[in-house]
Amino acid sequence: MIKFEQVSKVYPGGFQALKNVSFAIEPGEMAFLTGHSGAGKSTVLKLISLMERPTAGRVLINNHDLKRIDRKEIAYARRDIGMIFQDHRLLMDRTVFDNVALPLMIEGYSLAEARKRVHAALEKVGLSDKVRHYPQMLSGGEQQRVGIARAVVNKPPLLLADEPTGNLDPKLSSEIIKLFEDFNRVGVSVLIATHDLGLIARMRYRTLTLKEGRMINDGLAEEAL
Amino acid sequence: MSVLFRSRQQGAKQVTISPSRRFLMFWVHHAQQCIASLGELARYPFASLMTMAVLGLSLTLPATLYVIVKNTDSVGANWDQASEITLFLRQGLSQQEVQTFTKRTQLADEVASVRLIDKAQGLADFRQRSGFGDALDTLTDNPLPDVVIVVPAESYRTPSAAEQLVTQLSEAREVEQARLDLGWLQRFQAIVNLVRDGFIALALLLCIAVVLIVGNTIRLNISSKRDEIMVMKLVGATDAYIQRPFLYTGIWYGLVGGIITWLATALLLWWISGAVRDIADLYDSQFRLNGLNLTEMGVVWGLAIGLGLVGSYLAVRKHVSAIEPQ
Repeated sequence: MIKFEQVSKVYPGGFQALKNVSFAIEPGEMAFLTGHSGAGKSTVLKLISLMERPTAGRVLINNHDLKRIDRKEIAYARRDIGMIFQDHRLLMDRTVFDNVALPLMIEGYSLAEARKRVHAALEKVGLSDKVRHYPQMLSGGEQQRVGIARAVVNKPPLLLADEPTGNLDPKLSSEIIKLFEDFNRVGVSVLIATHDLGLIARMRYRTLTLKEGRMINDGLAEEAL
Repeated sequence: MSVLFRSRQQGAKQVTISPSRRFLMFWVHHAQQCIASLGELARYPFASLMTMAVLGLSLTLPATLYVIVKNTDSVGANWDQASEITLFLRQGLSQQEVQTFTKRTQLADEVASVRLIDKAQGLADFRQRSGFGDALDTLTDNPLPDVVIVVPAESYRTPSAAEQLVTQLSEAREVEQARLDLGWLQRFQAIVNLVRDGFIALALLLCIAVVLIVGNTIRLNISSKRDEIMVMKLVGATDAYIQRPFLYTGIWYGLVGGIITWLATALLLWWISGAVRDIADLYDSQFRLNGLNLTEMGVVWGLAIGLGLVGSYLAVRKHVSAIEPQ
């Protein structure tokens, strides 16, 4: 599903965020990406979501070399990747419905079809009763779940999450992770970047550990700790 | 369209939207974004109206100048046909010589008709009209020349042909001076041309100003929606999709701005029409200002919308693609 082949990334200014990183995530796999802040987690996600380009090496999704995706195709490529952010990135002046429907509107769904899918997605994250609310009226955990609903509403085969539990207490965090497990169970590949080691420790998932831009561990969570 | 997954069989259900449905929805979304951008403008009515007023009033000046030039052109066209040549004859010609000259001129092909105003009649007319009657009585001699007024034949009434006829007539022995009434008309025409050229230059400058103003307003709109644009790009919106509401905003500016131009131009013409009527009355003319006709209103509207669109296009092309999600 995702494949990094000896990827290095140097930002303008000379900061080397990734050094020769290689790994592969199989279709339908769920994995965690961990490391201290500045270790390169965000860079990995940015390379997958085409927000950055690698300085050296190759990034492949579904065996497509992302180098071949030109600027105009980036928008279409991103429609295949559901993205979830620590700061939710919701549109504050639009209702929950409009936020979740946004990817569908962009892709050209009819309103009837969009309504069906939005309700299904909101039901999945347990926010069916908040359709008409604005994001400010929701708690942090609820906002995060709106973000998740938006990420999964057009049923992408790949989910990326950047610190999805960053601002949440442990109980809410495990609820969020359970949601990801549900999506993973129906075949969606999931990659979650987090520095919440306690959260990872409770799970038995593959964990990729980055340190100063290098991949220092690839295996089960216990081995990483 | 899926770039990375030709058919989404992995993980999730395949997305199926038929091409015809996609095409239909493209236009439905166009309409939605068009209405939505109007709603966006309505949320800040004062700011929106200010931009529209700037656009509308900027176009009012060229539109009004255009109306004035158009009207003076029609005045010029009326007078073109009425060209008369006035021949002032030399002093000291005998009555006989004057009569012969008049007849000879009459017979020329280039001449339609001839009218003689001899010096005695001239003096009588002058006495009557000028109110200098008593002063004229002190004169021992009649200082006025005999005057022959020549109306050129149909084909000799264009300015250049009439000019030629004047030269030809002034070569006659009896003629002291020949004057074409067109002379002042040509000067008038030259002034009109100057005004017209000036107005074209001014209109061009104001159009550029309108494009820049709209462009700058749209640029501010874009930067105030920076976060929203980033989110939209992250969930897969193309630049074209993000640009569309801003382009519609430009169109709305032009649409309302054009109507403001109509109203302001009509108001301005109404304001000066009184003064114009006074001038026309002084010249015994029935001349009245004609405002913009329907076609010209359409052109003004189209121009306003076009300028709004161009301004917003320049802004979105430069600034929407520059915003990249981080």
